[in-house]
Amino acid sequence: MNANYYDSRKAKIQLTISRVVVYAILIFLSVLCLFSFYMLFVNATRSNADLQGGFRLLPSNYFLKNLVNAWNDASINIPRGLLNSFIVASCTAVLSTYFSALTAYGIHAYDFKLKKAAFTFVMAVMVIPNQVSAVGFYQMCVKLGWTNSYIPLIVPSIAAPVVFFYMKQYMESVLPMEIVDAARVDGSGEFRTFNTIILPMLKPALAVQMIFNFVLSWNNYFMPALLLDKAEMKTVPLMIAQLRSADYSKFDMGKVYMFILLAILPVVVVYIILSKSIIKGVTAGSVKG
Amino acid sequence: MKRLPDSRKAKRKSISYAKWGYLFIAPFFLTYAIFNLYPLILTIYNSFFENYRSGLKQVGPNFVGLANYVKLFTPDANGTIDILKYAGNTVVLWLGGAIPQIVIALLLAIFFTSHRLNIRGQQFFKTVIYMPNLIMASAFSMLFFTLFSNVGPVNQLLIQWGVVDTAIDFFSIKITVRSLICLMNFLLWFGNTTILLMAGIMGIDQNLFEAAEIDGAGSIQVFFKVTLPLLMPILVYTIITALIGGLQMFDVPQVLTNGAGTPNRSSMTLIMYLNNYLRTSKNYGMAGAISVIIFIITGLLSLMVYRSLTKKD
Amino acid sequence: MKKLMALLLAVVMVLGMCACAASDNTPATTQAPAATEKKEEPKTEATEAAPAEEGKVFNIYAWNEEFKGFFEKYYTVPEGVTVNWIINPSDGGVYQDKLDEALLNQANVADDEKIDMFLAEADYILKYVDSEYTQDITALGVTDFSNTYTYTVQAASDASGVVKGVSFQCCPSALIYRRSIAKDVLGTDDPAEVQALLDSWDKFNAVAADAKAKGYYMTSSEAETFRVFSNNGETPLVDGAGNLTLNDAIKAWQTQAKTFSDNGYTLTCDIWSDECTAQMFADGKTMCYFGPAWYFNFCMGNAQDPDKGCYGDWAICEGPQAHFWGGTWLLAATGSDNPTMLADIMDTFINDEEVCSNLIQNESQFTNNQAVNAKFAADPEYGNAFLGGQNDVAVFVELAKNIKFENKTIYDQLLTEGLQGYWREYCDGAVTEEEAMSNYYKYINEKYPEIVTP
Repeated sequence: MNANYYDSRKAKIQLTISRVVVYAILIFLSVLCLFSFYMLFVNATRSNADLQGGFRLLPSNYFLKNLVNAWNDASINIPRGLLNSFIVASCTAVLSTYFSALTAYGIHAYDFKLKKAAFTFVMAVMVIPNQVSAVGFYQMCVKLGWTNSYIPLIVPSIAAPVVFFYMKQYMESVLPMEIVDAARVDGSGEFRTFNTIILPMLKPALAVQMIFNFVLSWNNYFMPALLLDKAEMKTVPLMIAQLRSADYSKFDMGKVYMFILLAILPVVVVYIILSKSIIKGVTAGSVKG
Repeated sequence: MKRLPDSRKAKRKSISYAKWGYLFIAPFFLTYAIFNLYPLILTIYNSFFENYRSGLKQVGPNFVGLANYVKLFTPDANGTIDILKYAGNTVVLWLGGAIPQIVIALLLAIFFTSHRLNIRGQQFFKTVIYMPNLIMASAFSMLFFTLFSNVGPVNQLLIQWGVVDTAIDFFSIKITVRSLICLMNFLLWFGNTTILLMAGIMGIDQNLFEAAEIDGAGSIQVFFKVTLPLLMPILVYTIITALIGGLQMFDVPQVLTNGAGTPNRSSMTLIMYLNNYLRTSKNYGMAGAISVIIFIITGLLSLMVYRSLTKKD
Repeated sequence: MKKLMALLLAVVMVLGMCACAASDNTPATTQAPAATEKKEEPKTEATEAAPAEEGKVFNIYAWNEEFKGFFEKYYTVPEGVTVNWIINPSDGGVYQDKLDEALLNQANVADDEKIDMFLAEADYILKYVDSEYTQDITALGVTDFSNTYTYTVQAASDASGVVKGVSFQCCPSALIYRRSIAKDVLGTDDPAEVQALLDSWDKFNAVAADAKAKGYYMTSSEAETFRVFSNNGETPLVDGAGNLTLNDAIKAWQTQAKTFSDNGYTLTCDIWSDECTAQMFADGKTMCYFGPAWYFNFCMGNAQDPDKGCYGDWAICEGPQAHFWGGTWLLAATGSDNPTMLADIMDTFINDEEVCSNLIQNESQFTNNQAVNAKFAADPEYGNAFLGGQNDVAVFVELAKNIKFENKTIYDQLLTEGLQGYWREYCDGAVTEEEAMSNYYKYINEKYPEIVTP
């Protein structure tokens, strides 16, 4: 009795200690993560001259002025940029997740001669850095007249090996073939089965990859910078770069930080809204060994 | 999920359904062939030519055989082979960021999924730790640059506290530049990895944990005997993707060191090196050769990691 | 959540369709916004109707909005012509990449798509001037260079002396010093007296030691003096055979940079870094900066802010050697279908007195018209409050006479950027001199395969 009581007390103390340690770690990491956002915010409240003086911990009073300046800057159209980025990023996110799921399903659910070869091929090309084929890609786009077009930014996302790999792992754990067979018995066509039965089951994985890929595309500078130069086609990172290379009389880092902050806000909002489903989603769609 | 019971049925049907397999993977492969494979082949083809711009004048393409490769592997006056040095830098920078990233992410994933700890405010923490991923890497680097500059707050504090007398020039010391790059990559990616690993742990059959506890296993034993082996596939996924991401490292060191890889090019990564040839001279010959080398290095490393991680199966 | 996903998908699809629709329309809509903007402006006078055979679209490539602003304020576009600005950031070399691509493709596109005029900076202007992609502007009718500064014409002339463009500004660079520190170190803040004490490098270096002794920095960055030296070099950085040759002026800078860093006469940092600009506060310890009108009018943000406590505590003088920094040139693209308008624009920005006066009065520019500049230099009413009332135009008029545009190469921008960066590592003590130079040579080999390095 006594020993048991002692044990449970000891366990309780141990638990409290480990909880304190865990919370301390979590709070430390959160502060580290939030600090960069706080700095962005503070910098967005400061004037260009003040920013030249280096770091400040407390916000200044230029927030509204920077916001007005950035919004009214004649060379960039912020709403247009946000819309452009949203079009490119959302199309990219949707295409890459949908077609990766389709491909993963094709390899997962069907037996065909080249199945193993196809899988090995994707796994092999997954390790090739994008930058490696960037030159050839750019030359090709110029030749085809695809500059100032969203085609070369959106369509290639149909083939996203990393997303495919994730979808494949995911299906292996959560997708029983019985469901497919049942659907076949019901006379559902293969394509319809995928769209109406399989996709909803993959929803959590789709949500995760959609937000991951949305963010990647939203922040992409390299290719859009080479391909787009019409003002009304430019995406957010290009506009930020344009602000940063403004001429000396108009150069204003306060405006730049304000725009960076504005560019993050929509993603943060979308993320917070979706995060519940993402975290639940990943949880539900766990990958089993 | 066991698919054994209906595999007989599936096999019988698979004959008639095979065309659907091809049909479903067709868009992916078609797109890949046009947008990636063709440019990739072009890149490899380029690597055998002298092909660059001098001002507005085009030089080449002239076939030079393996000359570009020979040039890449010719040691400089000090006996250093540049591309190997940059490959070494890249691996060091990757490991420095990826090891803490995966270890911490694994720890956090265990914390979040532990019923015993029953962490409150999980939603908040999970959101916050993913948030750095939303900032453009270049903007993130700009912030760090201000933080650690000679007149930045870190130096101000160190001087104020009497730790140092004069400002530490963080960007001219090899170890500090590298540490900063690792720290930034860690912050950018550990939340992402945590989310993925958590998924893996929560997918493990809870009965296994209970059984282990009944057998008297401690939490450390449970982790190594139950959690880790079952988590292996998703761990392999995160390690491989972290490896691929790490070997493609570019934005963070590029912006932080203004493209120079200071000091003494010790933070120059392979992709930064490639980028140097792509800009200005449009030296597609050398860039092509570097690309091929990067491909081989990445491929070998991934294969090694994949093999060593999946050997136990 | 299901609803949210559905909504999101729906929005995405609609946007996707919009995107497709938008890109279908691109050829038609691209010029539309510019066109409407232009038409809304009431046309008071059509200075010059474009001849019937000239193009209806005038394409200008630029990397920022500076000239666009002046152009829209001070130039009247001929009736019926739409001006189309193609602006790409210079960040990461994007501007030159795209400009090059367009120039190389110039022969293959429709007349209205051709570049008519493009902007270039001093550091890379030769790349375009010394090419077949720019054309002789004297043939187009721009012939009066009597009022422009010689160096601006030299810069826009190819090897055989054919003029390919003009600059709308002149950028003589001065020594900008902090009056209060000069008083403490030199015993005077009078520009003429300060100049007499700093008119050679020997004097400058000696004063640096005095400044240090009194607790000041002579310069805020070891690279500040770079342009003063390099502008006065005797040989180009790359000789006719393609060999890298660091002339005596550059070597003198290297020595000075190392000495200044080692002795603590300067901070060791990039001239655009926070560390350097933080010295422009009231409690800053730096005595000298170097730069043209645009540098102190726009880049010295802290000092320009009256609240920061050193506004008006500055003055300018020539310094050890005459030099210039920066400047934007307008170049005539080969194949332009608007030659008359092209010539008219160039002529306006160098010879129209009213436009040039406006540039000084309203835009803080130092123009490329000597007569107009002289008018302001002689005006006793004119003075710059930031410089304690000194007439900066008068100083620049004198300085501009001594500027040379010689021994330039198409490689200068990156060769100097790289040298400053890699040499700084040596000044910092992070690498040996051999390592610094070896890294610099590697950098050159990557950027310019055709240059032979030691």
